[in-house]
Amino acid sequence: MRSKTSPDNAAAPRAGARLHQSDVSWITAAQVLIIILIITGMQVLNMTSGRLVMPAPADIWRQSIAMWGDGSIPLALGQTLGVLLLGFVTAAVSGVLAGIVLGGIPVLGRVFDPFVNALNATPSAAFIPLIIVWFGLYTEAKVALVWNAAFFPILISTASGVANANRDLIEMGQSFGADRRRLFWQVMVPDALPAILSGLRIGAAIAIVGTVIAELTMAQSGLGGLMITAGNRFQMDRYFAVVIVMMALGTALTAGLRWVERRFGQWRIAQAGGR
Amino acid sequence: MAPLITLQGIAKSFTAARIPALEDISFDVAPGEFVSLVGPSGCGKTTLLRLINGLITPDQGEILVGGKPPAPSSRLAMVFQSARLLPWRTVAGNIEFVLALKGMPRAAAAERARAILGAVGLRDYAGAWPHELSGGMQQRVGLARALAVEPEVLLMDEPFAALDAMTRETLRLGLMQMWSDRKMAVVFVTHDIDEAILLSQRVVLLRPRPGRIDSIVTVDLPEPRWQNDPRGLPAFGTLRRELWDRIHDMAREGAALEELAGVFGGSGTKGA
Repeated sequence: MRSKTSPDNAAAPRAGARLHQSDVSWITAAQVLIIILIITGMQVLNMTSGRLVMPAPADIWRQSIAMWGDGSIPLALGQTLGVLLLGFVTAAVSGVLAGIVLGGIPVLGRVFDPFVNALNATPSAAFIPLIIVWFGLYTEAKVALVWNAAFFPILISTASGVANANRDLIEMGQSFGADRRRLFWQVMVPDALPAILSGLRIGAAIAIVGTVIAELTMAQSGLGGLMITAGNRFQMDRYFAVVIVMMALGTALTAGLRWVERRFGQWRIAQAGGR
Repeated sequence: MAPLITLQGIAKSFTAARIPALEDISFDVAPGEFVSLVGPSGCGKTTLLRLINGLITPDQGEILVGGKPPAPSSRLAMVFQSARLLPWRTVAGNIEFVLALKGMPRAAAAERARAILGAVGLRDYAGAWPHELSGGMQQRVGLARALAVEPEVLLMDEPFAALDAMTRETLRLGLMQMWSDRKMAVVFVTHDIDEAILLSQRVVLLRPRPGRIDSIVTVDLPEPRWQNDPRGLPAFGTLRRELWDRIHDMAREGAALEELAGVFGGSGTKGA
């Protein structure tokens, strides 16, 4: 029997919602244990093979504090975030709009399909020389590279979401007299929202890769620049301190987008679980 | 009474299969009349509904609704086999969606949605999401959505076929009540003979491949039927037998017997 539920406690089954509380704490314990094992392993490797092969975890910790304190990490993080967000936001806006157009107008979708696929399949690093010639070595060029990397996955996901919108719902809208414009914006595009959001999440992950590649291959800057400088000088503790920040940045960005995805796509996740 | 819906010599085939789906279909529906279309699968019942709705146009013949060729509009409203609710809108939001298509201002639409939800017994669920409702409740929302536009014709495409027997019975009762209150015309597609007799004033029996009218049977049972269940009456049994005889004849005349047995097998034994 179903009981009355209000939207506030809609409690869509989350990824982990089906696990019991005891399972959750067990999983957390296992994860903490793995972290301890990794740190121990690093320590052992450091003691057996020297600090070039593996810096001591305590040194990485000290360097992290030093680099956050002297402003080198905050500065680099700011530069990286600037390039990443500019590139990702332009890719998101242009990719979603282009995807809606190509998905909503099947003829256009068919015409552009091979070109979109070809460009998407080309590694974004292949465009670096061209981007350098066109945009130089600084922020504009880096943003262009990030845009180029993230644009196509977002476009493809959006276009397929719109093109594959639920036929039954479209017919329902038609039978109640919805015109094409309203069918499009009030039925097809909302129905594609989960696909759009997962495209954005994939695009964000690729945008991070693109940002670091740009920072390494163009004018060195940001976290990528800081990382390669440390690496080239064999300052492995500094190098690790930067890598940890990158790791956290990527995790935070994808987790944030996953959260948005779940919020907006809640009905869909719940629906999939309920049927 | 002048007919509200007129179908005259309708034919429709689908180019992909090159198989005629409907052939020479002619019948009328009077204002406020409840007509069922009954027949095995493959006889084009749903196609016929879509033609009346104006979602597709016939290859031959003429359909008039209120004297004009049909177009999806507020004169007509469809209830589908699955509720087809927009999952990103609340229950009330789904009803407001179709009212907005009609051009109703937001505040008035919200008020109407609440009123109509009250009429189908879902007042408390106005703010719920479709996925939070059971199948029967979703279907009631689908019905409420159709009623909200105050249609002259309610088109129903096997609306209770996917529900369990008890829910189906409750919703049938609700529909009968609603119909005797509002007296809109109903074109009801089903493959359940008992359901067709129970609900409708006339039953249009179709035969398959291509879909043609086999016979039109008038159901003369005392009204209102939601108050006195006609299923125990001798007249009900007679109608049942008459329709089943027609179906058996159909089978003998060469329409695919297996097809009929498959579709009608379940309902052939109950309610006698």
